[in-house]
Amino acid sequence: MTSPERLRGAAAPKSHNARTIAALTTNPGCSRRAVMDAAGIDKERLAAYVGFPARFGQSQFAITRGNVFEAQLKADGCAELLRLLREVLGLPIPQVSYDDLESVDQLDARADRSRELLTRAAGGESGTLFDHPLLRLEVGGRWVYLEPDLIALQFGGTFYVVEIKSFAVIDGQADGTKVSAAATQAAVYVLALRRLLAEAGHDPGLVSHEVVLVCPENFSNRPVATLVDVRKKLSVLERQLARMARIDPILESLSPDLTFDLRPDSSGVPQRPVAELVDGLGQIDARYSPECLANCELAFFCRHEARGTTASLGKSVREELGGVPSVDLALSLASGAVAPADDQEEAAAMLRFAAQLRSECLS
Amino acid sequence: MPTPVDVLERRIDELRVAVRQAVLAGDRAQATALRAELRRAEREWDDALDEFADQTPVPPLLPIRDQVHNALTLLGVPAAPKLLIAVHEAFFAGEIVGARLTSLRRDEERSFRAAPRQRPYYLCSALTADLLAPARGLLAVSTWPLDRRIVGPLSARVDFLTAAIRIAEQAERHPGAERLLRRFAVNIPGATDSSFADVKPEVVVRAARAELAVHEGADRSHREAAAERARTQLDDAAQLFGSRELQRT
Amino acid sequence: MSALTALARVSAVSSGVAQRIATVRHVHLSDRPLVFIPLALAGEANAPLAALVGSSFDSPQLLVVLQPRNRDERFAFAARLAAVFLSYVDSFRGETETVPAGRNTDPRERYVDAPQILVPNGGGVGFVRLLGRSTRFRRTEGEYAVEPSVPLLGRWLTFFAERAEYPGSSLLLNMTGALGMHWATGQSAVEDANLAALVGWIDPPDGMTGADAALEAEDPLTWPPAGPATDPTFDNEILAPAIEAGSLSRLESALRRQLEPTWELMWRGVSLLRNLPPGARVERRWAEDRDAFTGYASYVDEGGYPQARRDGAVAAAQRLARLERAQVLYDAQRAYDDPLILAEYRLTGEAFAGTVTASAPDRIDDSGKRRVLRPRVTVSSSDPVRFEPGVSVVSPARPSQTGRVVSVSPLPSGFEVVLELSGGMGRGLTAPPGSVPEVGERLTYTTLTESYQAPAAFPAREETPWTHGGPPVEYVPDDDDAVEEWS
Repeated sequence: MTSPERLRGAAAPKSHNARTIAALTTNPGCSRRAVMDAAGIDKERLAAYVGFPARFGQSQFAITRGNVFEAQLKADGCAELLRLLREVLGLPIPQVSYDDLESVDQLDARADRSRELLTRAAGGESGTLFDHPLLRLEVGGRWVYLEPDLIALQFGGTFYVVEIKSFAVIDGQADGTKVSAAATQAAVYVLALRRLLAEAGHDPGLVSHEVVLVCPENFSNRPVATLVDVRKKLSVLERQLARMARIDPILESLSPDLTFDLRPDSSGVPQRPVAELVDGLGQIDARYSPECLANCELAFFCRHEARGTTASLGKSVREELGGVPSVDLALSLASGAVAPADDQEEAAAMLRFAAQLRSECLS
Repeated sequence: MPTPVDVLERRIDELRVAVRQAVLAGDRAQATALRAELRRAEREWDDALDEFADQTPVPPLLPIRDQVHNALTLLGVPAAPKLLIAVHEAFFAGEIVGARLTSLRRDEERSFRAAPRQRPYYLCSALTADLLAPARGLLAVSTWPLDRRIVGPLSARVDFLTAAIRIAEQAERHPGAERLLRRFAVNIPGATDSSFADVKPEVVVRAARAELAVHEGADRSHREAAAERARTQLDDAAQLFGSRELQRT
Repeated sequence: MSALTALARVSAVSSGVAQRIATVRHVHLSDRPLVFIPLALAGEANAPLAALVGSSFDSPQLLVVLQPRNRDERFAFAARLAAVFLSYVDSFRGETETVPAGRNTDPRERYVDAPQILVPNGGGVGFVRLLGRSTRFRRTEGEYAVEPSVPLLGRWLTFFAERAEYPGSSLLLNMTGALGMHWATGQSAVEDANLAALVGWIDPPDGMTGADAALEAEDPLTWPPAGPATDPTFDNEILAPAIEAGSLSRLESALRRQLEPTWELMWRGVSLLRNLPPGARVERRWAEDRDAFTGYASYVDEGGYPQARRDGAVAAAQRLARLERAQVLYDAQRAYDDPLILAEYRLTGEAFAGTVTASAPDRIDDSGKRRVLRPRVTVSSSDPVRFEPGVSVVSPARPSQTGRVVSVSPLPSGFEVVLELSGGMGRGLTAPPGSVPEVGERLTYTTLTESYQAPAAFPAREETPWTHGGPPVEYVPDDDDAVEEWS
């Protein structure tokens, strides 16, 4: 058995954010990813070093647009945001209190100050808008700092996470993938805020399972707010976080001297032989699917490793082939070159028929 | 024969492609090194061009601190650079150059600390009510009473409504201010008709006053208490530019 | 994804080249399509950045926006696109043909050809839809006035985008979709979305496997994305400095280099598709497209309103039902045109193929009031026939003739099916020669039908129930639509 610390080696643990935590829910069955994330290994750096760099760049135009839109909503004492929240949450006129938590410099101090203000607010004292509070969530045994765009407290004591995104809602419709990703991210904040309140002895149910998603409307900069139910996202997230806390059984199966330390020299250039790292990665099972390409920094490595599997062609391909795991086996069963195992009889018959049909039609 | 500028341009293009290659390969060290080289080449290119062009910057009508002072005085409340630019554009001649605003407060503080109270006014910070620290991104005028420069939890809204009233009051005589006024009006309940089509200054004033009445009392007592603390705990400079001490406790 | 396609994908892996999943072409391909490759600025709601457009390989036109965040420049881009696009569309409004009256229709005129827009991928279709949405309501006078061609462009773009949702329509095609219908690659559907990788699998360069070509296609330096999204490293390292410098020539050459590789891929895609023989029913569907084009052109001529932002309840339900019927028909048509598509139904038991072993072409059924001709044939099939007696089936070889399954009995290998035939044999009591399958003929029978299905009944617009919002107000574009911000 090894330990997360040993796996990571001398490098500082890679810190999570809401986006990376949200990504954890996309392929929960992958041990490789679970171990890497729990150990805080910098997957992006590792992937680049072994020759399979990830492609997760963000365009500066998108970043700028996001920042400008958020600044616009929060300008003039959150004037626009306040109007929207009055509309969707029915905030009464007197509730305009605004606390800027980003103005505190140090992370710990910000987290403390955020906890103080939010728990005080939960106790029925003042506070309505909390700008960039710093929350904490335990992920794989380590604390991760999280920074929601805004939290609003409604009259009557319900907290709402407000997520500001710059993708457009056009004629009442937005890109479903983007809405879903925003909802998962917001769910991470809901969870962190619930745990913060619970630790302070308050009812975690004070945090609504509905989040306020604010986006630009149509082709303008005019914002529009929508309530999004994140209950399902929350339960997926909680299950995955609990799973990450239980990676011991996976660690037990690993060799005690396994490590992904890149052994950088004094100038930070990794010296570890690539072959050792590749060998190490091979010791932890991955569950590659093409969807990983959009979600995991190691995806190109895993794809290369998964060549020749039917799963690498997509989940539906594997299913249509009756669950036969490899390309070669599927073709051998289809041609009759290999006799099927007992549990492959049905798949093999279907494959033989399919192969016969193709050759009949294409000859 | 290619000129030095042509050669540099080709070099810049090559470097840009090389930076992309490094970024795509996930090689951060290489990308950083190449970016530095790219900046160098770009500077050389700028210099090479400068030899052709004779640049005399056009001086603004007023020094920037006077422009900002004018805008702040019209508003009467601490304000962010973006709002100051918009107010100046709507009510005054000339344009505030945004880029020059960023260093303004630091310059003012340096000037004050070098020779305190030599100028009739300084452009200073608004202070947060809890920590008496400089409030992010807000500028104020040193001659204002201290409590007006304090920002408590309700002050952002109070200052927004106050600014709306001041703008509306001036808007009659400045047709150019209508867009700015509309921006305020749409975010104040009852300040516009349902179609947002027509913005009447007197309606905006009435609506803003009505909401202001709700927050004013609580906000004032916050501010006054914080101002009292500032007067007893902070020296002159910190009263103007904010304390950075209390934050770390 | 069917099992046949899945098998084709694994075959592609092992052979190193994409495998055919269709024996004929199922889309119409114009002699003179308009290829349109748009790029949009990241982070914005469909802000045009550039486009390469043209109806012949040798003369692409590059359109560039110098400041993509500037509203006026966006409309100037729309106006320049309109000049190309509308003159292309107009060039098909020449010769017409007369379509005789049908069961429920009056005789009508129809253009003999129609425009066809080709975009690289689904994102390109989305771009067309959103550009249409953001321009069709614009006003041509007063405040925020735009060129008259801009709202007209918007209405046509919207027409094409709506038509693209209609199963079987070829007025607006996306190349990855069109190629993917005909070939299975040795990679996943996610990776097929990259046009360069897809073409690499179908037609790998000499000395390379499809897998090699696809891997190379993932390098955005060699093969820039086919849009509308650009590569982030291009944005950060090339585009941003060029926009900042405000140099049109620099921007144009940078964007041209992003677009030209896709331009070549698009025309390679066109010739790959042209090499496939068209399916027999492709022409029939294209005639429907020409009807739709003719109809919309005259609607615009008559001064009809631009398409509403959203459908009312009844219109939305009608549209959905129409799309569903079109889908069923389109599936059947492709299966009738293409034995390889029909084979998918054989695999799932919705069709079987076999050889006629006995035929009674003169069989008369006299059990009823009237004597009728009801020939019977016996078909022996090695397919796993899963039909129960009583089921009606049709053979694509004789689409107007229906066979009722009388019995299915197992043979040592396969099944023997007895069918009773009706239709397609004239009105007499003797079947004309060739109208009844003869012994030895090989046939496929399926439950798929391309016969006319009556549309579902919906309340009239003005009788929309209150549960669905009541009768919608007639859609008239208002000032709000016209001055809507685009920033």
